[in-house]
Amino acid sequence: MTSQGRFRSLWRLLPYAKPFWFHFAVVFALVVVYNATNVLQPYLVKIAIDRDIAIAHPNERGLLMIGVVYIGIVVLGVFANIIQMLVLQFAGQSVIRQVRIDLFSHIEHQSMDFFDTNAIGRLVTNISSDTETVSQFFTQFFLSMIRDGLSIVMIVAAMFELDVTIAAECMIVIPVIFLISLFFRERLRDAYQSTRTKLSSVVAFLAENLAGMRIIQIFHQERQQADRFETLNESHRHANVHEYGVSVMFNRVLDLLGNLAVAAVVFVGGGAVLHHAILFGTLYAFISYIRQFFQPINSITQQWNTLQSSIVSADRIGKVLMVAASVQDPLSPHALEHVQGRIEFRHVDFHYHAEEPILKDVSFVIEPGQLVGFVGATGAGKSTIMSLLTRQYDPVGGIILIDGVDLRDLSLAELHRHIGMVQQDLQLFTGTIADNIRLFRAEIDDAAIERAARAVGIHGLVESLPNGYHTWLYAKGANLSMGERQLLSFARMVALNPKVLILDEATASLDSQTEQMVQNGLHTLTAARTTLIIAHRLATVHHADVIYVLDHGQIVEHGNHDELRKRQGVYARLYEHAGVEVLA
Amino acid sequence: MVSSDPNTLLRAFLWRKKWAYAVSTLAIVVSEMVMVQFPNLIGKFTDALGKGRLDMTGVVHDAGWLALVGVGYVALYGVGQFRNGQIGREFEYELRRQLFLHWENLHTGYFRKRSVGDLLNHAMNDVRAVREAMSGGLNILTNAVFLLLTTLWMTLRTISVPLTLASMVPLLFLPFFIIWWGPQIRLASRRVQEALSEMADLSEESLSSIKVIKTTGNEDVEVGRFTSKVDRIVDQQMAMFRKSTLFQSFIPLMGSLSFAIALLYGGYLTATHQIELGMFVAFTLYLAMIITPLQQIGFVINNFQRASASMGRLRTLFGEQPAIADRVDASSLPRPTGELRVDLPSFTYPDATEKTLHHLRFHLDAGQTLGIVGRTGAGKTTLVNLLPRIFEPPAKSVFLDGVDVLDIRLSDLRGAIAYVPQDGFLFSAKVGENIGFGKLTPSVGEIETAARDAAIYEEIMAFGQKFETEIGERGIALSGGQKQRTAMARALIKEAAVLILDDSLSAVDMVTEKQIIERLRELRHGKTTVIVAHRLSAVRHANQIVVLEKGQIVERGTHAELLDRNGIYASMWRLQSEGGDRP
Repeated sequence: MTSQGRFRSLWRLLPYAKPFWFHFAVVFALVVVYNATNVLQPYLVKIAIDRDIAIAHPNERGLLMIGVVYIGIVVLGVFANIIQMLVLQFAGQSVIRQVRIDLFSHIEHQSMDFFDTNAIGRLVTNISSDTETVSQFFTQFFLSMIRDGLSIVMIVAAMFELDVTIAAECMIVIPVIFLISLFFRERLRDAYQSTRTKLSSVVAFLAENLAGMRIIQIFHQERQQADRFETLNESHRHANVHEYGVSVMFNRVLDLLGNLAVAAVVFVGGGAVLHHAILFGTLYAFISYIRQFFQPINSITQQWNTLQSSIVSADRIGKVLMVAASVQDPLSPHALEHVQGRIEFRHVDFHYHAEEPILKDVSFVIEPGQLVGFVGATGAGKSTIMSLLTRQYDPVGGIILIDGVDLRDLSLAELHRHIGMVQQDLQLFTGTIADNIRLFRAEIDDAAIERAARAVGIHGLVESLPNGYHTWLYAKGANLSMGERQLLSFARMVALNPKVLILDEATASLDSQTEQMVQNGLHTLTAARTTLIIAHRLATVHHADVIYVLDHGQIVEHGNHDELRKRQGVYARLYEHAGVEVLA
Repeated sequence: MVSSDPNTLLRAFLWRKKWAYAVSTLAIVVSEMVMVQFPNLIGKFTDALGKGRLDMTGVVHDAGWLALVGVGYVALYGVGQFRNGQIGREFEYELRRQLFLHWENLHTGYFRKRSVGDLLNHAMNDVRAVREAMSGGLNILTNAVFLLLTTLWMTLRTISVPLTLASMVPLLFLPFFIIWWGPQIRLASRRVQEALSEMADLSEESLSSIKVIKTTGNEDVEVGRFTSKVDRIVDQQMAMFRKSTLFQSFIPLMGSLSFAIALLYGGYLTATHQIELGMFVAFTLYLAMIITPLQQIGFVINNFQRASASMGRLRTLFGEQPAIADRVDASSLPRPTGELRVDLPSFTYPDATEKTLHHLRFHLDAGQTLGIVGRTGAGKTTLVNLLPRIFEPPAKSVFLDGVDVLDIRLSDLRGAIAYVPQDGFLFSAKVGENIGFGKLTPSVGEIETAARDAAIYEEIMAFGQKFETEIGERGIALSGGQKQRTAMARALIKEAAVLILDDSLSAVDMVTEKQIIERLRELRHGKTTVIVAHRLSAVRHANQIVVLEKGQIVERGTHAELLDRNGIYASMWRLQSEGGDRP
C-alpha cells in the first residue's frame, strides 16, 4: 500500500474528532501560550545580560524585575500546559470512546459469515489495542505536531526579531534537516515494518504452539519446533537491532547537526559581537534558541513510530468498519402482527462455494404449533436450515417465509423477536443468573424471570443457591452442570417468548434425574410454539409430528417415525447403523 | 533441562556481557565528560569576548573546539546507546528462547489451566518491559546520573559553590516528589489497565456468544453493556491523567525555578563582579543541559518498576516445574512390541482434589485392539493420556512391554506411540508438512499413503496446491472431519507400536468412519491399537472393550460378550440403534 493510501485510513477516523473541535481549538490556544512562555525565557535572559548585568553599574532593581517576570511566565506556562494536556486527553479519550463503541456495535451487527472468517481474538485486539494505539495519534502525535510545529515557528520568529542577518544564516540548518530526514525516512520505515512483520510471526508461532503443545510433546517434536522458533526469534532480533541502529543513527545525526549549529552560531555571532554588530546578550539568546530549535525537531521524529503504528491500527479498524453486513434490513420492513408461526421453505438452495452445494432445492411447510424433527448425518444440512431460518445467511436460491412473509422483508430485530434458538451448549455471560435469563434486557422484570424459571422447573434449584437469582455466573468457569445450563437456556427462551423455537439438541450426557428435568422443561417449552429440533438421538423425535430426513443437502424422506420405519429407506438405514446417534 | 529463574538468567547474561557493558557505560561516561566542556567553552569564550581579548582567529579556534566537542559527544554517546540497546535486545531474544524451551517441558495440565492469550502476554509484553528497562531505561539512567555528577563537579569547581548550591535547592524536592507521587500514578495506571482488560473480556465474551446474541436480537443490549465499560475506561484514564499531568509539570517547574535562582543570584553575583559574565553564561547553560535528563528520571523509575514487576511474573512462569521429564536412570526401549498393562489404584489430576480414575486394571497383548467407551466425563481421555505420559501416572501403574512408563525414556516412549487427538489439532503449515510432522524426513510416498489410509487423499488432491496447500490462519480452513482425518494420517505415518485414537472420528460421517476403521484393521494387524469412541460402531471389532463409568471399569469383554451380558454396553448399543432390533 502506498503511504498516501495508508494515511487515508487514519484520515477516515478524523470525523470522530469533529464534535471536539472546540476542545482542540482550546488546546491550540493554550499551546500557543505555553510556547510563547518558553520562547520568551532566553529573551528575558538576554535583556538581563545586556541591560542589567554586563554593564558598568549593575541595575539590581531591573534584575529583580526580570526575575519576577521570569517566574511569572514560567508559572503561566506550566498552568497553560496542565490545562492543555487535560483538555487534549479528554478530547482524545472521548474520540476513542466513540470509535470503540461504533466498532463494537458494527461488529455485533455483522452477519454470521463475518464471524466464520474473522477470529474472535483478532476482533478483540481491534477493539482494545488497535483503538488504544490510534488514541496515541490524537494525543501524542497531534500534540507533538502543533506544539513542536508552533515551537519551531516561534523560535524562528524570535531569532529574526533579534537579528535578521544571523537568523537568516541559521536557516541553513532547515534544508539540512530536511535532507537528513529524507535520507532516513525510507530506511526507518522499512526497518520498522520489517520488525513488525517478524514480531507478528513470532506471536503467531507462539500462539499456535502453546495451543498445540500436547501434540508437539506426544510426537516428540520439541527440538524441531524449538529450532523453528529459533529461526523466527533470531530473525526478529536482527530486524529489531537493525531498526534500533537506524533510529539511533538518525537521532544522533540530528544531535550532531544541533551541536555543529551552536559552533557555527558562536563563529558567526562571535564575529558579529567583535564588529559590534550585536550585543553579547543577543549572541547568548541565539545560542539558546538554536539549541531549543532542535528539541521540537527531535520530539517530532520520536513521533515517527507512533504515527506508523497508528496508521497500521487505523488501517485494521478501517478494514473492519468497511465491511457491510451481508444480511441487511429491508428499507421498509414489513411488520408482523399476531404471529402464528407458520414456516415455509420454497425451493431453497444454499452454498458457500458454488462447487460445494449445501442445500439443494429444499421445500417444506411447518404449520403453527407443530413439532418437527430434522435428522441426518453430520454435514447433511440440518444446521444450515436453522441458520437460514434465523437469517444468519440468506439463501442463494428460493425463498423462506414466516406466516407467508419473505424473511427478507422483515427487519432482523422483528425476525429475532419471533424466532428463538437453543444451542447445544448454552453460552453464559458474566453476570447473575437473572441477567443470564433476561439477557440483560431491562424490560424483562424479576417476576417474569421467576415465572420462566418455574415453567421449566429450575426455580427450586436457583432458590437453593445462596444468592438465588443473584448468584454470579462466569462465562467460562462452569459453576453450573450441563443439565442446569440447558434448563437455564430453556428459561431464557420462555422469558423471551418467541413463537418459533429452534432446538439444537445437546449431545452431552446427563444423569437420569436431570434428563427427566430437561425433558419436562422441554415439554413446557415446546408447547404452543412451532418447534424445529435438530435431533441427535432418534428418541427425541420419536413423537414429532413430522421428521425430515436430510442427506447431502436434500430432503430425502419425511413422515412420522412409524411411517419412516416402514418405508425401509434412509431413515430406517440410519436407524440400523445408529448413524445419526451420538451416544448419550 | 533449562527452566532457570529469570534473575539467574539475567545475572548470567550480564556477567557474560560484562565487557560489552563496560565499554558502553564507559562510552556514555566519557561522552558526558566531553559534553560538559560545552558550557565551559562558551563561558570562556564569553569572557574572552567581553574583555576584548578575542580576535577572529580566537573565535574560529573556539568555534572549532565546540564543533569537536559536539562530534565527540555524539559519537561516544551514540556508540554507548546503540550497544546497550543491542544487548537489551539480545536478552529479549534469549528470554523468549528460554521461555519457549521451558514451555515445551511443561505438562499438558499446565496449558489447560492457562489461557494462551495470557501466556502470550507474558512472552511478548513482560519480556519487552524487561528489555525496555535494559535498553532505553539504562541509557537514560546512565546519561542522567553521569551528566548530573559531571555537571555538579564542573559547576562546583569552575563556577561558584554558593551559586551551585542555591540553584540546586528546588531540584532537591524532586526525589521526594517522585517517591510520594509516583506510586499514586502507578495505582491510577493499574486501574486503567483493569478497566481496559474488563472491556477486552466483555468483548471476547460477547463475540464468543455472538450466535445467541444474534438469534435473540440482543445486539444493542450488548452495545449498552460495552458502552458502560468504555465509559469506565474514560473515567479511569482521566483520573490517571490528572495525576500524571501534575507529575509531568512539577519537574520542569522546579527546573525553571532553579533557572530563576541562577538568573537572579547569578546575575547579582555577575553584576557585582563576584563572578565573571562567562561563568554566569556557562552556569545557565549547565542548568539547561540537566533539565531534560531530570525530566526523564520519572519515566525511568516507572520503566524499571514495570520491568521488575514483569520479572516477577516471569519468575513465576519459569518457576513452574516440568512435571514430566526423563528419570536419571531411564531405560531405553528400542524395539517396543506394544504390550500394555494397566494396574492403577487411582489417578488424581495435580490441580484437583477428587480422583478421576479408580481401580483400573487391564492387560492387552501386543497386537490387540482395545476399545474404551463410556459417557462424557467417565475418564476415557484421562486414561489414554496416561500412556504417553501427557499426564503422569503414579509409579508402577502403567506398563509398556512390561516396563513402567515412568522408567522409559520419553523419546522412546513417545516414539512408540502415535496419538490422534479429538480436536484434530493441526499447525498452520502445509497439509503435507502436517501429515509428516512426527517424522524427521518423511518421503512424499509415505505422506500420500498415510493420507489414503486416513481417507483424506482425494480431498487433499482437490485443494489448489494439493499437499502443498497451506492450512490454518494463512491458508484454507479445514472442516472438523477433515482435520480429524489429517490428524489420523499424521499418526498413521509413524507406524508406531501403539496407536491411540482419542474419539478421533467424532466429526467424520458414518460411511467414512466405517471405511477408516476397516482400513485400520488391515494396517494395524499385529499392532496394538487403542480406540476411545462415543459411537460403538468404532469399537465393535476390538479384541477387548472396557466400559468406563465415573472413572471405573464397569464392564469388559468383546462386543458379543457385552451384548450377551445385557448391561450398560448393551443398553448403549440399543440406544444408539434405537429399539434394539439389531441381531
